[in-house]
Amino acid sequence: MLSPKRVKFRKMFKGRTRGIATRGATVAFGQFGLQALEPGWVTNRQIEAARVALTRHIKRGGKVWIRIFPDKPVTKKPAETRMGKGKGSPESWVAVVKPGRMMFELEGIDRKTAERAMGLAAAKLGVKSKFVAREEAHTDAS
Amino acid sequence: MATEVLIAHPRAETGKGAARKLRAAKQVPGVVYGHKREPQSLALDARDLQKMLDRVSADTTVFELRIDGGTARTLIRDIQRHPFKREILHIDFQELVAGELVTVDIPLVLVGTPVGVRLSGGMLDQVLRTISVEVDPGNIPNHIDVDVSNLDLHQSIHIRDLTLPAGVEVLENEGETICVVAPPRAEVEVVAPVEGADATAEPEVIRAKKEEEDAEAAKK
Repeated sequence: MLSPKRVKFRKMFKGRTRGIATRGATVAFGQFGLQALEPGWVTNRQIEAARVALTRHIKRGGKVWIRIFPDKPVTKKPAETRMGKGKGSPESWVAVVKPGRMMFELEGIDRKTAERAMGLAAAKLGVKSKFVAREEAHTDAS
Repeated sequence: MATEVLIAHPRAETGKGAARKLRAAKQVPGVVYGHKREPQSLALDARDLQKMLDRVSADTTVFELRIDGGTARTLIRDIQRHPFKREILHIDFQELVAGELVTVDIPLVLVGTPVGVRLSGGMLDQVLRTISVEVDPGNIPNHIDVDVSNLDLHQSIHIRDLTLPAGVEVLENEGETICVVAPPRAEVEVVAPVEGADATAEPEVIRAKKEEEDAEAAKK
Protein backbone atom coordinates (compact mmCIF):
# COMPACT_ATOMS: atom_id res chain seq x y z
CA MET A 1 0.00 0.00 0.00
CA LEU A 2 1.13 3.55 -0.66
CA SER A 3 2.72 5.50 2.19
CA PRO A 4 5.61 7.95 2.50
CA LYS A 5 9.12 6.59 3.07
CA ARG A 6 10.30 9.51 5.18
CA VAL A 7 8.30 12.22 6.94
CA LYS A 8 9.20 15.35 8.82
CA PHE A 9 6.57 14.86 11.51
CA ARG A 10 4.78 11.70 12.67
CA LYS A 11 1.42 13.29 13.32
CA MET A 12 -0.57 15.99 11.60
CA PHE A 13 -3.53 18.25 12.37
CA LYS A 14 -6.85 17.27 10.84
CA GLY A 15 -7.17 20.43 8.77
CA ARG A 16 -10.13 21.64 6.73
CA THR A 17 -10.56 21.16 2.99
CA ARG A 18 -11.65 24.36 1.34
CA GLY A 19 -11.96 25.33 -2.30
CA ILE A 20 -11.47 23.29 -5.45
CA ALA A 21 -8.46 21.69 -7.09
CA THR A 22 -6.93 24.05 -9.59
CA ARG A 23 -3.86 21.89 -10.15
CA GLY A 24 -3.93 18.21 -11.08
CA ALA A 25 -7.45 18.70 -12.41
CA THR A 26 -6.92 17.75 -16.05
CA VAL A 27 -6.33 14.47 -17.87
CA ALA A 28 -2.58 14.87 -18.25
CA PHE A 29 -1.10 11.43 -18.98
CA GLY A 30 -3.71 9.06 -20.32
CA GLN A 31 -6.88 9.17 -22.37
CA PHE A 32 -9.48 8.80 -19.62
CA GLY A 33 -9.66 9.92 -16.01
CA LEU A 34 -11.58 9.66 -12.77
CA GLN A 35 -12.24 13.11 -11.31
CA ALA A 36 -13.30 13.84 -7.74
CA LEU A 37 -16.50 15.86 -7.34
CA GLU A 38 -16.41 16.49 -3.61
CA PRO A 39 -13.74 17.11 -0.98
CA GLY A 40 -12.62 14.24 1.19
CA TRP A 41 -9.90 11.89 2.33
CA VAL A 42 -8.97 8.87 0.23
CA THR A 43 -7.13 6.27 2.29
CA ASN A 44 -4.23 4.20 1.01
CA ARG A 45 -6.43 1.10 1.31
CA GLN A 46 -9.05 2.67 -0.93
CA ILE A 47 -6.39 3.69 -3.47
CA GLU A 48 -5.02 0.15 -3.48
CA ALA A 49 -8.49 -1.37 -3.86
CA ALA A 50 -9.25 0.98 -6.75
CA ARG A 51 -5.92 0.16 -8.42
CA VAL A 52 -6.57 -3.57 -8.12
CA ALA A 53 -10.08 -3.12 -9.56
CA LEU A 54 -8.67 -1.12 -12.49
CA THR A 55 -5.83 -3.49 -13.34
CA ARG A 56 -8.07 -6.57 -13.01
CA HIS A 57 -10.69 -5.12 -15.32
CA ILE A 58 -8.34 -3.92 -18.03
CA LYS A 59 -6.36 -7.19 -17.75
CA ARG A 60 -3.19 -6.87 -19.78
CA GLY A 61 -4.41 -3.99 -21.89
CA GLY A 62 -3.85 -0.46 -20.80
CA LYS A 63 -1.76 1.64 -18.52
CA VAL A 64 -2.84 3.11 -15.18
CA TRP A 65 -1.72 6.30 -13.50
CA ILE A 66 -2.45 7.06 -9.85
CA ARG A 67 -2.44 10.84 -9.49
CA ILE A 68 -2.96 11.06 -5.72
CA PHE A 69 -0.62 10.06 -2.93
CA PRO A 70 -1.57 9.40 0.69
CA ASP A 71 0.88 11.67 2.51
CA LYS A 72 -1.26 12.65 5.49
CA PRO A 73 -1.11 10.48 8.64
CA VAL A 74 -4.36 9.84 10.49
CA THR A 75 -4.13 8.94 14.17
CA LYS A 76 -6.47 6.90 16.29
CA LYS A 77 -6.78 6.33 20.00
CA PRO A 78 -6.96 2.70 21.14
CA ALA A 79 -10.37 1.26 21.99
CA GLU A 80 -11.74 1.78 25.49
CA THR A 81 -9.30 4.55 26.27
CA ARG A 82 -10.26 7.56 28.37
CA MET A 83 -9.98 10.96 26.76
CA GLY A 84 -6.78 12.93 27.22
CA LYS A 85 -3.23 11.58 27.58
CA GLY A 86 -2.24 13.04 24.25
CA LYS A 87 -2.91 12.37 20.60
CA GLY A 88 -3.32 8.77 19.42
CA SER A 89 -0.81 6.88 17.32
CA PRO A 90 -0.66 6.99 13.51
CA GLU A 91 -3.10 4.45 12.13
CA SER A 92 -3.35 5.05 8.37
CA TRP A 93 -2.42 7.35 5.53
CA VAL A 94 -4.81 9.45 3.45
CA ALA A 95 -4.67 11.67 0.39
CA VAL A 96 -6.55 14.94 0.76
CA VAL A 97 -8.74 15.35 -2.31
CA LYS A 98 -10.47 18.51 -3.45
CA PRO A 99 -13.30 18.65 -6.00
CA GLY A 100 -11.84 18.55 -9.50
CA ARG A 101 -8.80 16.43 -8.61
CA MET A 102 -7.96 13.82 -11.27
CA MET A 103 -7.37 10.73 -9.13
CA PHE A 104 -6.74 7.99 -11.71
CA GLU A 105 -5.94 7.93 -15.42
CA LEU A 106 -6.09 5.18 -18.02
CA GLU A 107 -4.72 4.67 -21.50
CA GLY A 108 -4.54 1.99 -24.15
CA ILE A 109 -8.12 0.69 -23.89
CA ASP A 110 -11.43 1.57 -25.52
CA ARG A 111 -13.86 3.99 -23.93
CA LYS A 112 -16.41 1.39 -22.88
CA THR A 113 -13.86 -0.73 -20.98
CA ALA A 114 -12.36 2.39 -19.44
CA GLU A 115 -15.78 3.57 -18.26
CA ARG A 116 -16.55 0.21 -16.66
CA ALA A 117 -13.11 -0.01 -15.03
CA MET A 118 -13.39 3.52 -13.64
CA GLY A 119 -16.88 2.72 -12.36
CA LEU A 120 -15.47 -0.22 -10.41
CA ALA A 121 -12.63 1.93 -9.08
CA ALA A 122 -15.02 4.74 -8.13
CA ALA A 123 -17.02 2.30 -6.02
CA LYS A 124 -13.93 1.71 -3.87
CA LEU A 125 -13.38 5.37 -3.05
CA GLY A 126 -14.89 7.51 -0.34
CA VAL A 127 -15.54 10.54 -2.54
CA LYS A 128 -18.03 11.08 -5.36
CA SER A 129 -16.33 11.07 -8.73
CA LYS A 130 -17.01 11.12 -12.45
CA PHE A 131 -15.51 9.58 -15.56
CA VAL A 132 -13.86 12.08 -17.91
CA ALA A 133 -12.16 11.76 -21.29
CA ARG A 134 -9.44 13.91 -22.79
CA GLU A 135 -10.76 16.56 -25.15
CA GLU A 136 -10.26 15.19 -28.65
CA ALA A 137 -9.37 17.04 -31.83
CA HIS A 138 -12.31 17.58 -34.17
CA THR A 139 -11.19 15.43 -37.06
CA ASP A 140 -14.23 15.89 -39.30
CA ALA A 141 -13.21 19.35 -40.60
CA SER A 142 -9.80 19.48 -42.22
CA MET B 1 -8.24 25.75 -42.42
CA ALA B 2 -11.65 26.60 -41.02
CA THR B 3 -13.00 30.09 -40.39
CA GLU B 4 -15.94 30.74 -38.10
CA VAL B 5 -17.82 33.88 -37.15
CA LEU B 6 -18.31 34.90 -33.52
CA ILE B 7 -20.19 37.92 -32.20
CA ALA B 8 -18.64 39.78 -29.28
CA HIS B 9 -19.55 42.94 -27.42
CA PRO B 10 -17.00 45.35 -25.99
CA ARG B 11 -17.19 45.80 -22.23
CA ALA B 12 -15.94 48.66 -20.11
CA GLU B 13 -16.08 47.05 -16.68
CA THR B 14 -13.21 44.77 -15.71
CA GLY B 15 -12.20 42.81 -12.63
CA LYS B 16 -13.60 39.77 -10.87
CA GLY B 17 -16.84 41.45 -9.77
CA ALA B 18 -17.74 42.48 -13.30
CA ALA B 19 -16.65 39.08 -14.66
CA ARG B 20 -18.84 37.25 -12.13
CA LYS B 21 -21.83 39.41 -13.04
CA LEU B 22 -21.26 38.59 -16.70
CA ARG B 23 -21.07 34.87 -16.01
CA ALA B 24 -24.27 35.06 -13.98
CA ALA B 25 -25.92 36.67 -17.03
CA LYS B 26 -24.85 33.66 -19.18
CA GLN B 27 -22.01 35.55 -20.81
CA VAL B 28 -18.29 34.85 -20.97
CA PRO B 29 -15.70 37.55 -20.33
CA GLY B 30 -12.91 37.66 -22.87
CA VAL B 31 -10.13 39.76 -24.29
CA VAL B 32 -8.71 40.39 -27.74
CA TYR B 33 -5.09 41.47 -28.18
CA GLY B 34 -2.37 41.39 -30.77
CA HIS B 35 0.30 43.33 -32.57
CA LYS B 36 -0.72 46.82 -33.60
CA ARG B 37 -3.80 46.92 -31.38
CA GLU B 38 -4.67 47.83 -27.82
CA PRO B 39 -6.11 44.99 -25.74
CA GLN B 40 -9.90 45.19 -25.64
CA SER B 41 -12.19 43.53 -23.09
CA LEU B 42 -15.11 41.61 -24.56
CA ALA B 43 -18.25 39.77 -23.57
CA LEU B 44 -19.53 36.77 -25.55
CA ASP B 45 -22.69 34.74 -25.31
CA ALA B 46 -21.80 31.60 -23.32
CA ARG B 47 -24.24 29.28 -25.13
CA ASP B 48 -23.18 30.34 -28.63
CA LEU B 49 -19.52 30.03 -27.73
CA GLN B 50 -19.93 26.57 -26.20
CA LYS B 51 -21.93 25.38 -29.21
CA MET B 52 -19.24 26.68 -31.54
CA LEU B 53 -16.44 24.99 -29.57
CA ASP B 54 -18.33 21.68 -29.56
CA ARG B 55 -18.31 21.84 -33.34
CA VAL B 56 -14.85 23.14 -34.23
CA SER B 57 -11.30 22.77 -33.00
CA ALA B 58 -10.49 25.78 -30.80
CA ASP B 59 -6.72 25.66 -31.35
CA THR B 60 -6.66 25.54 -35.12
CA THR B 61 -9.68 27.55 -36.24
CA VAL B 62 -9.52 31.19 -37.30
CA PHE B 63 -12.40 33.12 -35.73
CA GLU B 64 -13.77 36.25 -37.35
CA LEU B 65 -14.76 38.35 -34.35
CA ARG B 66 -17.54 40.86 -35.01
CA ILE B 67 -17.16 43.62 -32.45
CA ASP B 68 -19.51 46.60 -32.75
CA GLY B 69 -19.57 46.63 -36.53
CA GLY B 70 -15.84 46.03 -36.95
CA THR B 71 -14.28 42.63 -37.64
CA ALA B 72 -11.03 41.05 -36.55
CA ARG B 73 -9.44 37.78 -37.69
CA THR B 74 -8.36 36.03 -34.52
CA LEU B 75 -7.09 32.81 -33.03
CA ILE B 76 -8.15 31.49 -29.63
CA ARG B 77 -5.07 31.60 -27.43
CA ASP B 78 -6.46 30.48 -24.09
CA ILE B 79 -9.68 29.09 -22.68
CA GLN B 80 -10.04 29.06 -18.91
CA ARG B 81 -12.54 26.46 -17.75
CA HIS B 82 -13.98 25.48 -14.40
CA PRO B 83 -11.96 22.48 -13.18
CA PHE B 84 -14.90 20.06 -13.13
CA LYS B 85 -18.02 21.82 -14.37
CA ARG B 86 -16.11 22.54 -17.60
CA GLU B 87 -17.95 25.82 -18.18
CA ILE B 88 -15.90 28.52 -19.86
CA LEU B 89 -14.72 31.20 -17.43
CA HIS B 90 -12.66 33.37 -19.76
CA ILE B 91 -11.39 33.36 -23.33
CA ASP B 92 -8.39 35.03 -25.00
CA PHE B 93 -8.28 35.95 -28.68
CA GLN B 94 -5.16 37.04 -30.56
CA GLU B 95 -5.69 39.20 -33.62
CA LEU B 96 -3.85 37.98 -36.69
CA VAL B 97 -1.71 40.33 -38.71
CA ALA B 98 -1.48 39.77 -42.46
CA GLY B 99 1.89 38.31 -43.45
CA GLU B 100 2.87 37.29 -39.91
CA LEU B 101 3.35 33.63 -39.05
CA VAL B 102 1.75 32.24 -35.92
CA THR B 103 2.79 29.49 -33.52
CA VAL B 104 0.02 26.94 -33.04
CA ASP B 105 -0.28 23.56 -31.30
CA ILE B 106 -1.70 21.09 -33.81
CA PRO B 107 -3.29 17.86 -32.54
CA LEU B 108 -1.73 14.58 -33.68
CA VAL B 109 -4.30 11.95 -34.62
CA LEU B 110 -3.15 8.32 -34.73
CA VAL B 111 -4.66 6.47 -37.69
CA GLY B 112 -5.00 2.70 -37.91
CA THR B 113 -4.27 -0.17 -35.55
CA PRO B 114 -0.59 -1.13 -35.26
CA VAL B 115 0.53 -4.62 -36.28
CA GLY B 116 2.10 -5.01 -32.84
CA VAL B 117 -1.26 -4.41 -31.19
CA ARG B 118 -3.28 -6.55 -33.61
CA LEU B 119 -1.04 -9.60 -33.72
CA SER B 120 1.26 -9.46 -30.70
CA GLY B 121 -1.06 -7.92 -28.12
CA GLY B 122 1.10 -4.85 -27.54
CA MET B 123 -0.17 -1.51 -26.30
CA LEU B 124 -0.03 1.70 -28.30
CA ASP B 125 1.32 4.43 -26.03
CA GLN B 126 0.85 7.96 -27.34
CA VAL B 127 3.55 10.13 -25.81
CA LEU B 128 3.00 13.37 -27.76
CA ARG B 129 -0.52 14.58 -28.44
CA THR B 130 0.11 17.99 -29.97
CA ILE B 131 2.96 19.44 -31.94
CA SER B 132 4.02 23.08 -31.91
CA VAL B 133 4.37 24.51 -35.42
CA GLU B 134 4.91 27.87 -37.08
CA VAL B 135 2.50 28.42 -39.92
CA ASP B 136 0.67 31.06 -41.92
CA PRO B 137 -2.76 31.64 -40.32
CA GLY B 138 -4.38 30.89 -43.67
CA ASN B 139 -2.89 27.39 -43.81
CA ILE B 140 -3.35 26.05 -40.29
CA PRO B 141 -4.04 22.32 -40.57
CA ASN B 142 -6.93 21.07 -38.42
CA HIS B 143 -4.88 18.08 -37.29
CA ILE B 144 -1.96 15.95 -38.45
CA ASP B 145 -2.62 12.29 -39.20
CA VAL B 146 -0.01 9.80 -38.04
CA ASP B 147 -0.28 6.40 -39.69
CA VAL B 148 0.58 3.79 -37.07
CA SER B 149 -0.69 0.70 -38.86
CA ASN B 150 2.81 -0.60 -39.73
CA LEU B 151 4.22 -0.32 -36.22
CA ASP B 152 5.37 -3.55 -34.65
CA LEU B 153 6.35 -4.23 -31.03
CA HIS B 154 9.04 -1.85 -29.68
CA GLN B 155 8.76 0.34 -32.76
CA SER B 156 8.01 4.03 -32.49
CA ILE B 157 7.27 7.09 -34.61
CA HIS B 158 9.21 10.31 -34.15
CA ILE B 159 8.56 13.87 -35.27
CA ARG B 160 11.03 13.47 -38.15
CA ASP B 161 8.84 10.67 -39.58
CA LEU B 162 5.83 12.95 -40.02
CA THR B 163 4.62 14.07 -43.41
CA LEU B 164 3.64 17.66 -42.87
CA PRO B 165 1.54 19.89 -45.13
CA ALA B 166 3.43 22.53 -47.09
CA GLY B 167 4.26 25.73 -45.23
CA VAL B 168 4.26 24.11 -41.79
CA GLU B 169 7.49 24.36 -39.82
CA VAL B 170 7.93 22.23 -36.71
CA LEU B 171 9.31 24.03 -33.65
CA GLU B 172 10.03 20.91 -31.62
CA ASN B 173 12.99 18.56 -31.45
CA GLU B 174 12.87 16.22 -34.46
CA GLY B 175 13.89 13.22 -32.38
CA GLU B 176 10.94 13.41 -30.01
CA THR B 177 8.77 10.30 -29.82
CA ILE B 178 5.12 10.56 -30.82
CA CYS B 179 4.01 7.03 -30.03
CA VAL B 180 5.45 3.64 -29.27
CA VAL B 181 4.05 0.12 -29.28
CA ALA B 182 4.91 -1.28 -25.88
CA PRO B 183 5.07 -5.07 -25.30
CA PRO B 184 2.19 -6.64 -23.41
CA ARG B 185 2.48 -6.53 -19.65
CA ALA B 186 2.93 -9.82 -17.89
CA GLU B 187 -0.24 -10.41 -15.94
CA VAL B 188 0.53 -9.21 -12.43
CA GLU B 189 -0.74 -11.38 -9.63
CA VAL B 190 -2.35 -9.08 -7.13
CA VAL B 191 -1.12 -10.02 -3.70
CA ALA B 192 -3.52 -9.26 -0.90
CA PRO B 193 -1.81 -7.04 1.65
CA VAL B 194 -1.08 -8.71 4.94
CA GLU B 195 -3.40 -7.32 7.58
CA GLY B 196 -1.60 -5.01 9.96
CA ALA B 197 1.81 -5.46 8.35
CA ASP B 198 1.79 -2.11 6.63
CA ALA B 199 -0.23 -0.28 9.22
CA THR B 200 2.38 -0.76 11.92
CA ALA B 201 5.32 0.11 9.68
CA GLU B 202 6.01 3.75 10.34
CA PRO B 203 8.12 5.87 8.02
CA GLU B 204 11.44 7.28 9.05
CA VAL B 205 11.12 10.71 10.68
CA ILE B 206 13.50 13.32 9.35
CA ARG B 207 15.00 14.78 12.47
CA ALA B 208 15.55 18.52 12.58
CA LYS B 209 19.20 19.58 12.48
CA LYS B 210 18.84 21.45 15.72
CA GLU B 211 17.85 18.32 17.62
CA GLU B 212 20.93 16.50 16.33
CA GLU B 213 23.15 19.38 17.32
CA ASP B 214 21.55 19.45 20.76
CA ALA B 215 22.14 15.74 21.15
CA GLU B 216 25.78 16.11 20.15
CA ALA B 217 26.24 19.00 22.55
CA ALA B 218 24.71 16.92 25.35
CA LYS B 219 27.20 14.10 24.65
CA LYS B 220 30.10 16.49 24.95
